[in-house]
Amino acid sequence: MRKRAALIVVSMAVILVLSGCAAKYECADAWGCAEFEKGQTIKVGYVGPTTGDYSAFGIDISRGAELAIKDQPEVKGFEIELLIEDTQGTPEQGAAVANKFAADPRVVAVDGHTFSGSTEVAIPIYGDAGIVMMSPSATDPDLTDLGSEVFNRVAFHDRMQGEFAAKYLYNTLGVRKIAIMHDGGAYGQGLAEMTAGFFVGLGGTAVGTEAITPGEADYSAPLAAISALGPELIYFGGYDADAAVLVTQMAGAGLEGVLFFGCDGTYGVNYLDLSGDAADGTFSTYVPIPESGAFTTFKADYEAAYGDPQGKLSPFSPHGYDSMAILIKAMDEVAVESGSSLIIPRKALADAVRATKDYQGLTGSITCSDTGECAAAAIQFMKVVGGEWVVAPGQ
Amino acid sequence: MTVVRPCFAAASLLCPDRPVADPRGQPRTRVLRSRYLIMADDAPSRPTRSFNLGRFLTPAIGVLVVAFILWRLWGVLFVERIYGPDTWVRFAVSGVILGGVYALIALGYTLVYGILFMINFAHGDVMMLGAFAGYFTLEAFSSAGLLNKSLAWSIVSVAVTFVAGILTSTVAAVILERIAYRPLRKAPRLVPLISAIGASLFLENMAQLVFGSARRRYTNPEMIQHNVGWNLTVSGEQVLITYTGVLTFVLSILLMIGLYVLVQRTKAGKAMRAVAEDKEIAALMGIDVDRVIGSTFVISGVLAGAAGVMWGLHMGIVYHYVGFIPGIKAFTAAVMGGIGNIPGAMLGGLALGLMEALGPAALGIPFQLKDVLAFSILVLVLVFRPTGLLGEVLSEKKM
Amino acid sequence: MSHVRSSLRNSLLTSGISCCAVLLGLTGLAGAMVADWFGLPTRTVGAWVLLLAIAFWGGARTVGHSKSASVVAGSLMPSATHAFVLALFVGLISSLLDSGVNMREYLTQMSPEAVGLLTFGFAPWAASLVVFVALLAAGVAGAAVVFASVRHRWRESWARGWRGVRTKVMAAPLVSRFARHKSSRRVSYAIAVAILLALPFGLGRYWNYILGTVGIYVILGLGLNILVGMTGLLNLGYAAFFAIGAYTVAILTAPQFNTCWSFWAALPVGVLLATLTGVLLSLPVLRMRGDYLAIVTLGFGEIIRILAKSDVLTDFSGGPRGVRAVAGPELFGVSFSSALHFMYLILLGIMLAIFVVSRLQGSRPGRAWMAMREDEDVAQAMGIYTLKYKVLAFAISAAFAGLGGGIFASRNMFTGPEDFTLMVSVNVLCLVIIGGMGSIPGVVVGALVLKGLPEVLRQLSDYRMLAFGALLVMMMILRPEGLWPSTRGRMAAQGSREEPGSRSASEPSPGV
Repeated sequence: MRKRAALIVVSMAVILVLSGCAAKYECADAWGCAEFEKGQTIKVGYVGPTTGDYSAFGIDISRGAELAIKDQPEVKGFEIELLIEDTQGTPEQGAAVANKFAADPRVVAVDGHTFSGSTEVAIPIYGDAGIVMMSPSATDPDLTDLGSEVFNRVAFHDRMQGEFAAKYLYNTLGVRKIAIMHDGGAYGQGLAEMTAGFFVGLGGTAVGTEAITPGEADYSAPLAAISALGPELIYFGGYDADAAVLVTQMAGAGLEGVLFFGCDGTYGVNYLDLSGDAADGTFSTYVPIPESGAFTTFKADYEAAYGDPQGKLSPFSPHGYDSMAILIKAMDEVAVESGSSLIIPRKALADAVRATKDYQGLTGSITCSDTGECAAAAIQFMKVVGGEWVVAPGQ
Repeated sequence: MTVVRPCFAAASLLCPDRPVADPRGQPRTRVLRSRYLIMADDAPSRPTRSFNLGRFLTPAIGVLVVAFILWRLWGVLFVERIYGPDTWVRFAVSGVILGGVYALIALGYTLVYGILFMINFAHGDVMMLGAFAGYFTLEAFSSAGLLNKSLAWSIVSVAVTFVAGILTSTVAAVILERIAYRPLRKAPRLVPLISAIGASLFLENMAQLVFGSARRRYTNPEMIQHNVGWNLTVSGEQVLITYTGVLTFVLSILLMIGLYVLVQRTKAGKAMRAVAEDKEIAALMGIDVDRVIGSTFVISGVLAGAAGVMWGLHMGIVYHYVGFIPGIKAFTAAVMGGIGNIPGAMLGGLALGLMEALGPAALGIPFQLKDVLAFSILVLVLVFRPTGLLGEVLSEKKM
Repeated sequence: MSHVRSSLRNSLLTSGISCCAVLLGLTGLAGAMVADWFGLPTRTVGAWVLLLAIAFWGGARTVGHSKSASVVAGSLMPSATHAFVLALFVGLISSLLDSGVNMREYLTQMSPEAVGLLTFGFAPWAASLVVFVALLAAGVAGAAVVFASVRHRWRESWARGWRGVRTKVMAAPLVSRFARHKSSRRVSYAIAVAILLALPFGLGRYWNYILGTVGIYVILGLGLNILVGMTGLLNLGYAAFFAIGAYTVAILTAPQFNTCWSFWAALPVGVLLATLTGVLLSLPVLRMRGDYLAIVTLGFGEIIRILAKSDVLTDFSGGPRGVRAVAGPELFGVSFSSALHFMYLILLGIMLAIFVVSRLQGSRPGRAWMAMREDEDVAQAMGIYTLKYKVLAFAISAAFAGLGGGIFASRNMFTGPEDFTLMVSVNVLCLVIIGGMGSIPGVVVGALVLKGLPEVLRQLSDYRMLAFGALLVMMMILRPEGLWPSTRGRMAAQGSREEPGSRSASEPSPGV
């Protein structure tokens, strides 16, 4: 026991000596600035669900970010390093990752987060640390209402999506009774309830709400419960894997002829693959990427680097690319060389990102509003016809 | 049961060896105050009083629960009347089929637990590997154009798929046993449990790294497509009973009967029961314990493989995480039915499936809370029948 | 015949490991790591190092302790089999790739670059030949090296040398006097505590944050240790108590619910509520044994999480979005916002927890728990009122979890239902067992390994969970008593190692 105590003391002393060598970072600036010695890399984070149920989204968008860095790997001679962190889509891990990045003085910007729930909790943490964010896909409307100076996004927001969807349902599709289903997550539930609210405001009725447990494979019971209420359409807030299971089981649960309307989380090739024929006639929401030379090059690069065709895992990799490209461009604008080291002032970087105007990205021409909304184009509703996504009629 | 007396506990916390005045005022028996001896001062002086309270409490809770359930049922069935008879039939069908799925997986759990007293956490993941093997086999058949060529070819391809899945799962189970469980045969209970958890994590992540995280859909032959089946007419509505669902249920019954016959009527089964009773005595009787345990895992692998392929054919979606939640649910079902009891696994599975499908509707709670309901019922079952619905088969072994 | 069979089994094992390494992309990972560490331009070196190492190890395993010269020849067959299998595998994959099949649709790691690391860009069957020759050579070399070391007893002499050095150091007058002095233990603990208190200033924000997480898990581990290590009650739903503590502090301090209490007022309420929950949840399980207890506690954990996430209770718990803007502690007007300040709070919590646990170990409830862990029926026969002590165990461990939860929520400035999944309970259980059941330093070591190590091994982030699973299995096989076992645990493990077949060793129970 004594020997062990002696061992403890010695090891503690060693640890203390070693830790004393760890640099303590200090900066005199208002938001602080990031300083990079010669040879150090500029760290940019990508945060999203790279493991777990939604790993397809995280992996796909991180690939978009990686390709953006591959196309422009340096800022004034300093290499950019991408740190990919996993949140599994949950707010809790989003907070943990945000704290981790906030504590690292060499992280200047974050492409993320990917899911709205994890983004919301991270914004105040990044705001404290002065790290600018550009989210490729967080669509919760409250995010820009928080008044944060660091948060921006190239994705559209859900209030717009909910309102337009409600109008489309009521006016174009002409349904009056809808049922709401969602996966119980922050994004799905929020969006579904918002759409229902707008729909009821227009004069329709929401006959019932059912939440499913994501990841299960048999939703016939909740679907049967919904069918007993006699809706004309089901609006679903959630992701493509669950939506695919729902549509395949809808007919068997007595919901033949009932329309299925998904959100931007259900759009994609994955949804079509998983649901097969049952998806015919179902709807979703998306912002189509305009055809351009840059997009063709992007698709080729993606497939060469990763083997999967672009869009197979999720439709958001161009958004990941655009977010990262905007961040790199802003870094290039504000970085200051001082001697052999590089200085990136944080508030200047955040302002430069928000001042983005008419940037030609893959998703279109991007201009950021003063609240951080940088979405390129308006949303569109898509319909599955003959196993392919086409633009839904009547828009 | 007595309520914890905080002062007494706190006092013994802070001053471990000083005699503390007993608040009940009983004279302390002066016994050897050795540091390592606990003597009987602790015994409640009036045990009967606390016992009576306990005896009274449990039936009271039972009555309350039953009253609550009846009241909610009354409300849903007669007052609100949301669901017509066709919807109830749908719930029931859904529940029975789901029950069959859980029973299939629970059989493997209950076998390993009954013989080895070990929760095989990795069973769901072994099932997942079998499901993947089945997926690749069906893909091969489908891309060779043989899947729907004729009825015979369809049957052959399904049979080969089952064989492939079963083989893969069996190999995986045997390797698992050799590497992760055999060295821990004599360790205390918790050590193989942690090893099983580690093996489960390893298998899940290995599958994710090798096969990717994209979900894969089974290409069923046309005669047993997903969500195609017989239509039952109930009060004017068509209720679907899927072919794959019926197949699942039938398969689970067949496997249960087969397993029961194996364990109860064959010599190998007798050896298994002997090993379950007492390993050392069985060894003395000339039974090769290693071999019996190995064959137990082989059988559990077969069951897992069949369950995995059936899961793929019925539910349609396989990915690396697909074994995790069904594994936990199946274990819950096995415990509910009586762990170690083979018909109990079937009963538990059915009960769980029906509860998940019918329960929320019958009690008027949202479907999101179905797991809460399932676990609450599990607790209630175990409180009133501590060894599960059908009881443990084997004698109560000291853990 | 058995010789052939055992060598076949040997080669199958090594072939399996090599193929898995290739399929999992470990060759690419090894290549990247080696290239990073040594600044190499290509990843081929690292990939080949891994494969050759596996073959080397396989060859080394074939050597028994026989001293005959034919052992080298005897290692030839298994190494050849292994090399052949892998050559076939590489040849197959590269020829499939060459013929244009998109392997990545089915096996995601088999990209042309990854396979190219192994084939050097040669034609498939030429590459197979290269693989065969290289791995065969490595296998035989491994056998030869081990054979030589067995012959010359290098291993023994090295071990003896190390032991000699250690005895000499311990015999040095200063060290031995220090080790034998009466109060040396107290002095060293005091020094350790002083170093711990000074440490957070030396570390950056990043490491303070990581160590803070480790610290919270130490508190949780100490709590679960009471239940699992001392009392022997398996609890798979420990995250439920964690959740209650976190949510209470969050709900009471966040502006979302118009409460805005101070952290210091909310934390005791959180601990109290967690304790009450512990008592309540322990009542149904009092008469349950072992594994039933496991599944029921798992159920409780899930129930709490699902209820926190559900629609129905969104008004109370914030639903899936959780509770935001949880307040941090304030001391004399200065708010604790940085990781540094939280480190001190966590250190305080740990010291409190250690104090309580070490007092408990020597106290009446502690001894009652240990008696119950050994054999509940006998304990009851001895007059120990098991029901009461079980409830006490649940209550105290829940209190610890509540404390940890409150600090956790405050530090993250947020809490939500996905923070309390089954994996959290499993993590805490694993760290208790891997560290050493029933021992306090074991819990600290376990938390460092399980929570701190993944942060250090960032490059392995994809393989983190894979390594975690493998680590659990290996730890249980190689060192089931844990990394820093309690005295009894170590004695029991030594006993079971020396007498593998004895009856007494078949029920080793770690404890103090």
